[in-house]
Amino acid sequence: MKKTDRHVRRLGMVSCPTGYTWANVKAELRAIWESNVKQWKIELAYPLNFIRQCISPVIFLLPFLIYGLVLIGGRYSPNLEALIGNGDVVTFIFTGYIIMGFIGTAVWAMGFSIRNEQWFGTMESIYITPTNRLSIVLGTALHSTVHQGISTLVEFIIIYLVFGLALNMTGILPAMMIFALMMLALYGFGILISALSLVLKEGWIVSEGLHSIMMILSPVAYPLLVLPEVARQASFVFPTVPGLIGMRMFLLQDYKPEVIGNMFLALLLLDAAWILFGSLIFRLTDIYVRKRGSLEKY
Amino acid sequence: MTQSSLRSNYFVVWNEIVKNIKFLLAYPIVFVFWAIFPIFWFIPFILQGQALVGGLSSQAFAQIAGTPEFIPFVVIGSVLNSYVLSSLYGMGESIRREAYQGTLDYVLASPCNKSFILIGKAVSESLTSTIFALSQLAISILFFGIALTVGVVMPILFILILLILGLYGIALMLAALSLRFKQAHDLAHTLEYVFYLFSPVRYPVESLPLWAQAVGKLLPLTYALIAVRSLMLLKQGIAALYIEVLVLLVIDTALILIGFYLFNWMENKTKKSGIISQY
Repeated sequence: MKKTDRHVRRLGMVSCPTGYTWANVKAELRAIWESNVKQWKIELAYPLNFIRQCISPVIFLLPFLIYGLVLIGGRYSPNLEALIGNGDVVTFIFTGYIIMGFIGTAVWAMGFSIRNEQWFGTMESIYITPTNRLSIVLGTALHSTVHQGISTLVEFIIIYLVFGLALNMTGILPAMMIFALMMLALYGFGILISALSLVLKEGWIVSEGLHSIMMILSPVAYPLLVLPEVARQASFVFPTVPGLIGMRMFLLQDYKPEVIGNMFLALLLLDAAWILFGSLIFRLTDIYVRKRGSLEKY
Repeated sequence: MTQSSLRSNYFVVWNEIVKNIKFLLAYPIVFVFWAIFPIFWFIPFILQGQALVGGLSSQAFAQIAGTPEFIPFVVIGSVLNSYVLSSLYGMGESIRREAYQGTLDYVLASPCNKSFILIGKAVSESLTSTIFALSQLAISILFFGIALTVGVVMPILFILILLILGLYGIALMLAALSLRFKQAHDLAHTLEYVFYLFSPVRYPVESLPLWAQAVGKLLPLTYALIAVRSLMLLKQGIAALYIEVLVLLVIDTALILIGFYLFNWMENKTKKSGIISQY
């Protein structure tokens, strides 16, 4: 074989990562990182939009707070105290609402990560790269999680300065651990929605629907005790329920080892269930849409 | 205006309505979504009220709102707020949608008065918004015990028409800006925030600081909500609400005049600069 032929063949060769080797894991991690960087570049190309998105969580939180304060004519609700042992409405609602943006990460950012590529006209190019499609979804998840982290910090500063917050500072670290476990399960949920968005023409309806249902069934602005029994039982399918109960236990209430233990266990189970289920559905959907050739259809 | 030009203008309005309704019916799931799902957005406020108060009424709330029943207060706020959403995102972005569908050049180059195209869009949006609002109201009457007497239906419709006129004045401005700047989506979001925070959708305006109350009193939704709640919850007659009606009329006139002026100005500007078909 001539030297030029070998050169041409080497240029045309693409080494596809197969199997669970360290080199392949590194390649996928790089793909996740690059997908994250790309999202940041797109986002920061519109700085005003970025600023608006950073303050929007406060805008959507304020009506819950003002409405709560008007209802009870002050900051402390005896009824809330009877239900959960702490009557501070502002701190209760704030600690619940901070996770709403992260639900958005799963439902919107991850859910539409691949669909958005279609709008940009880059989906086919991404699909033929030797990268796992989940890496694109996880890259978007990384970007969205950091973005929500910034928004939550802005939210915290504004609410702290305007209303003041009575948080148990020693509980922040364990609350963060619970939060991390909750996020893992939410990522699994996001992977499932990204699969659904590949097959459904109006996928935003599923996302909006699930977002609204999660908002109602999660103890964001009220304790679960006000929900009917059936809804309360069903709510434990979502990781936001043990996540919020556990986080509030550390941040607001007295630490109860038996409750915390149950919440940790529930979150670990939900993590495994949602990630496995989401990945399985994603894989099946990926095969299905490619077989049908319906990937590029709107 | 001759009879034939009147007929052709009517034809433009009618066909704009038919086109938009065809679009809506092509996606029945979207139709069902907007008829039902906005209810899910106010359910958390109802549950929050029950958790904080421990019942269905609050005396502290009554001191500011005039009624202790917070559920009807929230439901009415949400149903009327759906008109804000449809005007900002429906009508406000309708011109942008024509650009996406590749029909904007033809629409603007057609030999008809563009005001009638906009009127057609506004009427079709109002029709669909009213269908959605009625569906939400019917579900609220069934599940949340909202009382609606026949006697207040006509006054409420009158207030709704005044609200829609004002909102479409704002939407016209958005449509004008989307002609020139293409992406009016962010502006629509920002306006949504203003309505969401400063109008009495979930809480009375009086619960806000003075400067925020001043902002709220510039919005047509504020007066429409005060009037409709007075009719439905406080059982007042329309005659007692003449101040709200007058202020709404003044706001409507100002917004519509500014909206049409801005749209015509932007249309001429974009035609001259040749950027109509650009994204």
